[in-house]
Amino acid sequence: MYGFEAMTFNIHGGYLEAIVRGHRAGLLTAADYNNLCQCETLDDMKMHLSATEYGPYLQNEPSPLHTTTIVEKCTLKLVDEYKHMLCQATEPLSTFLEYITYGHMIDNVVLIVTGTLHERDVQELLEKCHPLGMFDSIATLAVAQNMRELYRLVLVDTPLAPYFSECITSEDLDDMNIEIMRNTLYKAYLEDFYKFCQKLGGATAEIMSDLLAFEADRRAVNITINSIGTELTRDDRRKLYSNFGLLYPYGHEELAVCEDIDQVRGAMEKYPPYQSIFSKLSYGESQMLDKAFYEEEVKRLCLAFEQQFHYGVFFAYMRLREQEIRNLMWISECVAQNQKSRVHDSVVFIF
Amino acid sequence: MEVVDHETPSLENGQTDKEVEENANVLQFMDSMDAYLTLIHSLSSTLRRGWLELASARHSMGASRVNTVLLDHTSHPAATSLLVTQDEGKVDSGKPHFTLCKWASSSNENSLLGEKQSSQDKLHPQLRHRGSTELYEEKTSSENKASREVDDPVQKERSKSLSMFGTLVSPKLRAAQLSFEAALETLVEIANMRSEMLCAFDQVNMKLAGRKDEK
Repeated sequence: MYGFEAMTFNIHGGYLEAIVRGHRAGLLTAADYNNLCQCETLDDMKMHLSATEYGPYLQNEPSPLHTTTIVEKCTLKLVDEYKHMLCQATEPLSTFLEYITYGHMIDNVVLIVTGTLHERDVQELLEKCHPLGMFDSIATLAVAQNMRELYRLVLVDTPLAPYFSECITSEDLDDMNIEIMRNTLYKAYLEDFYKFCQKLGGATAEIMSDLLAFEADRRAVNITINSIGTELTRDDRRKLYSNFGLLYPYGHEELAVCEDIDQVRGAMEKYPPYQSIFSKLSYGESQMLDKAFYEEEVKRLCLAFEQQFHYGVFFAYMRLREQEIRNLMWISECVAQNQKSRVHDSVVFIF
Repeated sequence: MEVVDHETPSLENGQTDKEVEENANVLQFMDSMDAYLTLIHSLSSTLRRGWLELASARHSMGASRVNTVLLDHTSHPAATSLLVTQDEGKVDSGKPHFTLCKWASSSNENSLLGEKQSSQDKLHPQLRHRGSTELYEEKTSSENKASREVDDPVQKERSKSLSMFGTLVSPKLRAAQLSFEAALETLVEIANMRSEMLCAFDQVNMKLAGRKDEK
């Protein structure tokens, strides 16, 4: 019952909520980002990061550093923290934490299938998979020729199995089918996660509904923009939008027929939360849209920590860490390419 | 009585035809070197822009979607090829000429028009270009009809090249593709300019050697 979590939450979730709030305090601050943005080389970045929680993960890396190395090691830290929380969690928190990784699982499945289609070595593909999305039989994905085999041989025993009902066909896997499979799986995953949070009820349902609705709406906008000028039909585009969110259903109808970024803006500006996002962009421009959406997402994720006794803090922390890793990736690319004037194009400050 | 020397005709500014020709060769060499250096600088800035756009696309789409492991290792025809010809009917017939044949699966006419279109694409964001196809439909001149016919095959070839990263890719990745396409065109121009520059240098050297022999 909403409002009474304070009486029972701490019995099973108190320890882990304290742990995640402690981890949140370790997120990089604006001062840290200012120091990092002034680095001349990646070794300078490593030196600055040695004073943060990433220090132990980077200290043994030899010079010269690569941008991918920094991202990999920072991701390892996130994975270690997640695994510690998962092994300490009881139901339903353990299921909630597992839901957070299904998106990475979908990305890994698509990476393996696409790489196999392009005749790449499976070992090479496995090294590039996100560690949060790994599962036991992932290497067997390379054997499948179509989605039916993909499901029957591998995915039937994974948490992604229920999401395959809408995209099982015997058509051979090609680039378009794989893209549709990716987006259909992610749509099914988001809807399932949303229903699970609604079932949990209370503050978790309220906070997670807002965060997942924003995620669904952002995906709808990205699918629309990325599909402009491609062979994806309007009907196929509409089928990839999730069946929840602020834009569902009327916003989706407008987005499905958009042919350029200005029409997308016209559809989105009818919704006040997104009007503020699009007001930051000039007409015809889409380059800064990602950053505008990330900034809004970070604002909502930080607000999740203002309330206690709910699972939303775990989701918010994981997403904030991923944003931090994205920031570090961008800063390291700008430093490596000697383009420091562009470093603030994509860095989103969390505090 | 004036003595007119017919063996060494002189011009108003006191230069002989030979000297004028030598000066023209030197000027041609310096012009071609200037153009070569300008193109090198342009290539450098285009490549810098391309690499940053690729990093931006990776930031937007995620590291798992923009990755070297997704590059296609299946055998497939090249989307772009380079044609090397010799300039015939000219004094400097040993000079090679390089021509870029882009999007080779389209017709020759289409690919040449596509090169013109791609140079326009460099100036305008891809989304705006795609969004303005409705404006193209309103034009009735045959040239615009031809460019319209070229648009679809060229765009299809571009999308086909990018499809290794997925069918629904970010506009940033498309912008990176255009930048690297422009860099490829610049490289071919550099090769042609270098060939011209070396030819002009040879001409200057020949004239200098001839002068030394005369002395």
